[in-house]
Amino acid sequence: MGLSTSTLPFKERIAAAAKDKFAHASIAKAQDTQYTKRENARAELGNWQDWRKLGQSIRQHVIQYLPDYLEEFSDNVEKRGGNVFFAQTTDEANDFILNVIKQQQGHHVVKSKSMVTAELDLDKKLQALPDVSILETDLAEFILQEDDWDEPSHIVFPAIHKDRNQVHTIFKKLGYEGDNDPEHMARFARKYMRERFLEADVGITGCNFAIADSGIINLDTNEGNADLADSIPKAQIVVMGMERLVPSMKEAEIMDNMLARSAVGQKLTTYVTFEGQQTPGETDGPENFYVVVLDNNRSKALGTEFQEILQCIRCGACLNVCPVYRQIGGHGYGSLYPGPVGAVLSPILGGYEQFGELPFASSLCAACTETCPVLIPLHNLLIKHREVETDRLNMMHGFTDFQMKVVGKGTSSPFMFKMALRFKHFGLSPWTHQKPVTATNFFEYNNSMITKGPGMVGGWTDVRDLPVPPKHRDDFRVWFKHHKKQGGDAK
Amino acid sequence: MKVSIFTTCMMDLMFPHVGKNMVEVLERLGCTVDVPDDQICCGQPTFNSGYVEASWPVMHNQIDALSAIDCDYIVCPAGSCTAILKEYPELLVDDPNDPTGDYMARAKILSAKTYEFSQFIWRVLGIADCGAELDTVATYHRSCHMTRLLGERETPFWLLENVKGLEMRQLDGIQYCCGFGGTFSVKEHEISELMVTSKVENIEKTGAETLISCDPGCLMNIGGRFNRLGKPMKIMHIAEVLNHNVDESRIKKISEVATPAPAPFP
Amino acid sequence: MTIQNRDKFLDHLAERLGQPRHQLATHPYQQLNDLPQQTLSDKTPAELLALARKNSEALPVTFYEVAPVELPQLLTDYVTDKGGGPLLLPTTSHFADYQLTDWQKSIAADQTVNYWLPDADRATNLKAAEIANIGISFADFLLAESGTVTVSTNPGQGRALHFLPIHYLSIVPRSRIVARSTQAVAWYEKEQAAGCLDSSAIHFITGPSNSGDIEMQLVTGVHGPLDVTYVVVDD
Repeated sequence: MGLSTSTLPFKERIAAAAKDKFAHASIAKAQDTQYTKRENARAELGNWQDWRKLGQSIRQHVIQYLPDYLEEFSDNVEKRGGNVFFAQTTDEANDFILNVIKQQQGHHVVKSKSMVTAELDLDKKLQALPDVSILETDLAEFILQEDDWDEPSHIVFPAIHKDRNQVHTIFKKLGYEGDNDPEHMARFARKYMRERFLEADVGITGCNFAIADSGIINLDTNEGNADLADSIPKAQIVVMGMERLVPSMKEAEIMDNMLARSAVGQKLTTYVTFEGQQTPGETDGPENFYVVVLDNNRSKALGTEFQEILQCIRCGACLNVCPVYRQIGGHGYGSLYPGPVGAVLSPILGGYEQFGELPFASSLCAACTETCPVLIPLHNLLIKHREVETDRLNMMHGFTDFQMKVVGKGTSSPFMFKMALRFKHFGLSPWTHQKPVTATNFFEYNNSMITKGPGMVGGWTDVRDLPVPPKHRDDFRVWFKHHKKQGGDAK
Repeated sequence: MKVSIFTTCMMDLMFPHVGKNMVEVLERLGCTVDVPDDQICCGQPTFNSGYVEASWPVMHNQIDALSAIDCDYIVCPAGSCTAILKEYPELLVDDPNDPTGDYMARAKILSAKTYEFSQFIWRVLGIADCGAELDTVATYHRSCHMTRLLGERETPFWLLENVKGLEMRQLDGIQYCCGFGGTFSVKEHEISELMVTSKVENIEKTGAETLISCDPGCLMNIGGRFNRLGKPMKIMHIAEVLNHNVDESRIKKISEVATPAPAPFP
Repeated sequence: MTIQNRDKFLDHLAERLGQPRHQLATHPYQQLNDLPQQTLSDKTPAELLALARKNSEALPVTFYEVAPVELPQLLTDYVTDKGGGPLLLPTTSHFADYQLTDWQKSIAADQTVNYWLPDADRATNLKAAEIANIGISFADFLLAESGTVTVSTNPGQGRALHFLPIHYLSIVPRSRIVARSTQAVAWYEKEQAAGCLDSSAIHFITGPSNSGDIEMQLVTGVHGPLDVTYVVVDD
């Protein structure tokens, strides 16, 4: 359904995610597996921090001179005999793509994984065409398609929320008679999809990087499905976000190395392909080559504090380290782009009304920032979004807003803070339920624990007990004054 | 050596013993300690919630207060607050209320001499063994901000290694946030609950009877969850551990102990 | 058709960026550091060969090193081992360079052998690839760091030759083992700039097709070849 993958309100999505024990376990397992693989792959490369700076410098330069790189790229596509369509909106992009399929008299469309076509909701548009069949050929996306177009939940592993038994059930509907061994099921999918590949007349692919100085594109897949989609059909439509350029193959090669190590801990993705419009004399590959360059509000990030998010190379590492993604999964975010990168990108592409809650769905632990191969300060961008929503758009209202303003006053005025220290012990008592301390030591001076409190305290006590603030006479400042008088710091 | 304590609002409001233990350890190791009177908070509660305009006065107050006492170092009992104070020069670039750059100039001075408690002991004082003894099986919770923003991954482990009688157990999923995250724990308490539940499970799996950390915020969160579940768990700030059953004859400098291994990832 | 909506689109981006278009000539990208060139640059050819073997076998790829005279027998054994033809071979002078013309004749006597033909039509070449049990081709490079072979498309060797056959064997001369993708890309860029290479597709192939999409369990052979063999020939 395009950028938005759910109609449920945010809190309901979280509740649904909390109940989905399988998805939770499988994401946790995936994160832990990827952790070791990714960190080993980076350590083995060596000088990882300097590689990150290199990757960042390439991507930042491209974004800073994006109009020029897009012009160079499109000129070079044209020189090779291909076509480029610049689409401001998803509607423009969809109209163009459907029109090309019509012109090409396409009946069998094969797609290799592309987040941008999901953003376009292209599959649904294609399904509506009479006499056109459509096949998602990435194994995970094939599974989602055959499960009545289930929504993806990860940008690298779209079907991470499904286990082998669920896949088994889906494949049985297609005539599969074997067991639930992933290898056997993959072989079945291979055979099933191979037949459809061979009759394909239009291939639709994504684009890992577009090479400005030569008008070709760079595709990375482990399965080889993108290569079949750009070899067999006579026409290829490449759909790319406008920011996915590199100056030349030299920089693409650098980014490919960093992408593979960051995404799955490989040294290189199995099939790293540089391809474009067929050269005269060749017999396979696209005779008709089209590139759709999509804006869809990406340009809103340009020239703002959010420009750096366009550096993203979609490796998914920030999802794989994120403790929030670990708990709520892709569907919890309700955006095609989940995880930290999604929480930054989705409000830019889809607006704060729809995705304004995502920047708050982070503990700001900065694991994302630490892992990003192109040094996007993800957790800082989340704070920036919060600032825009709070200070600039005044989207915060009610009691919470009032309380935060009180906190602001209380933490900037020594007088008010000293008053708070004096009265804190008794201040909360009338509105709270309390119980004794069982987790000892740390709550030594708190005497008892609040189990249910008002306002923001209620959010805390829904989950855990809150220590009752100590009596003023026990405060550190009071102790220290006394301690000094006793000559405690005589040394 | 003159040391100012950066108390943090949480320690002032909630956990006085953290400050007391910290002062006693620092004095034992030869520091002259003082507490700047008007200090309150580093500004994270409002800043990280998006109330950035409301945060400039908080940071200004903190800069004024900490600059008011002459000292060689500023030492803080929380990795997170230390990290933010050290980031002040970057944050204040956007401050519209500092036309002369006076706050920025003082922020840079403060930033350069501020340390988290455990890193101050190891990296500035050069002390490897505080002479403490604690007979317990413990595990250590690494705070995200101390590890990633402050970049301190090692000193707590190294100091704890030298506490007599202390058996440390490795914590699975040590890289994952406990779900505190300041106002996140309140605003997004449904997600926070999932995170702290997972953290508690991992802590229990170690078989430890004590949980140690350098960040009171995380300890209040995890400890509060243990308390909610009615489970016994000794929750200790590292200052309390390093101030436990001290025999001053055991105090050792870094040069007197074997060089510890660097912390592995994560 | 060719290029549509470009100027309006790009002008909008330039406006957002707050700078005029056409700045690149005076602000070209300059590589920040030389890590890509430096990485593994201290390895000797023998070390690169050993590294290439180790990294290839880890993929997994079956890895052979042979003298030129041993090559025909190895290929024949390989074909037998994989259950015979149909074979798909490229149309290329490499067979002559490796003195494999006799082998071509002898294998054709025993097995169905098809060639990717420059003058055949699309359907014919794709059919030959589709039915092939074995695809054999000559690689431009073998990358030691990742165990990758690189190939470029030309009229005698289409794209699908590397992807549709069930088993895939790649022959590469020992002198073409380089440290990493950096050196291979530099060569392709140089050849293209000099007008010596006019190819619409360059493939970097690192072992067999695989996927971890079901429970992250790695399985091989989802779309491309089920298994891959590299043969390094002394030269």
